[in-house]
Amino acid sequence: MTRRDNLTLYMKGDRDVEVKKQNVTLGDILSMECTDKNILATVKSMTVLKIRSQKHQRYVISVLRIIQFIHEKYPDLTIENLGETDIIITYETQKTPAAAWHIVKIIFVAVVTFCGAAFSIMAFNNDVDVTRLFGQIYEQITGQESSGYTILEISYSLGIIAGILIFFNHFGRKRFTVDPTPMEIQMRLYENDIQTTLVENSARKGEELDVDGSGNNSGPADPAGNHRS
Amino acid sequence: MWTDQVTTAVQQILLGIIGLSSGVAVAGGLFSFIVELGVIADFADRTHTGDQILFYEDCVALGGMLGNLFFLFRPALSALFPIQTVLLVIFGLFAGVFTGCWAMGLAEILNVFPVFMRRTRIVRYITVLVVCTALGKGLGAWLFFYRGW
Repeated sequence: MTRRDNLTLYMKGDRDVEVKKQNVTLGDILSMECTDKNILATVKSMTVLKIRSQKHQRYVISVLRIIQFIHEKYPDLTIENLGETDIIITYETQKTPAAAWHIVKIIFVAVVTFCGAAFSIMAFNNDVDVTRLFGQIYEQITGQESSGYTILEISYSLGIIAGILIFFNHFGRKRFTVDPTPMEIQMRLYENDIQTTLVENSARKGEELDVDGSGNNSGPADPAGNHRS
Repeated sequence: MWTDQVTTAVQQILLGIIGLSSGVAVAGGLFSFIVELGVIADFADRTHTGDQILFYEDCVALGGMLGNLFFLFRPALSALFPIQTVLLVIFGLFAGVFTGCWAMGLAEILNVFPVFMRRTRIVRYITVLVVCTALGKGLGAWLFFYRGW
């Protein structure tokens, strides 16, 4: 091999990568840049993980392990990692689930959320006794007994509708502003939590593919609480 | 006579403003409570239907609007709604599913389980605890309705 000092390989990976083939190459899980295009092409095609079994599987690989792997071939190459330090590789077999089942699930969630939201608002109204409260407010202001169907109930309903639409920031496909909706944010947060949990679980169990076998990120957070007296 | 009409109009406008603003405030509070607990994101993730999240939001929004209308104008609407047992069963079942998830979502956000497990140093048989919680909640709900508390 010729002298290759002063060469730097930059790489950046997402935290969660889905692969569909059993031979996972570095190019599948990372995006890379290097001034030497030959090295770049070789490194990208290096197989970093061979998945043996056909079924759905998940691996967590440390970037240190990847760097070690590249260094085995190019010891003088400087590697700069600009992305995540642990990468979750999910092997998904190519079967697409039946469309009918997918629709059933969507309908189930839709009905649950619809009934749940309807129940929640009714439970809330019941809990704080909105009917009686509106009667009291009506009497306070007009001095007359409320019939139960006054402008208060109507405007409250309109207010609920407006509040929900403002809060969710869209109805149907029509968005009111370019911001993501609260549910989209929640969904991403949830995914993030799952990824963090996967990485930490795997590190704690020593299953993470890392340079020294066991988890490298058992930092100051002591899970067993041993630092207590 | 003329002043009476003005007074009535002012009163009605005032009531309208109160109603409208309380509606907006309640909607904001209640629905952020529903969404921030992450129950629906959880559903979408569990069923792998994350691409439908906007549709689920619509369902929540519609449920909230219609549920509120139904609650306030119940007697007036009951003529329109020949409530059949089937409808009630469906609504009860799904509302129950949602409420159950919501209760556990709340427990999750408040870190009830991690705190208790750490304090009592229980690391195994967590599934037993989960099943017991579910059974306890179910039994509690049944007792509540059966005894008419």
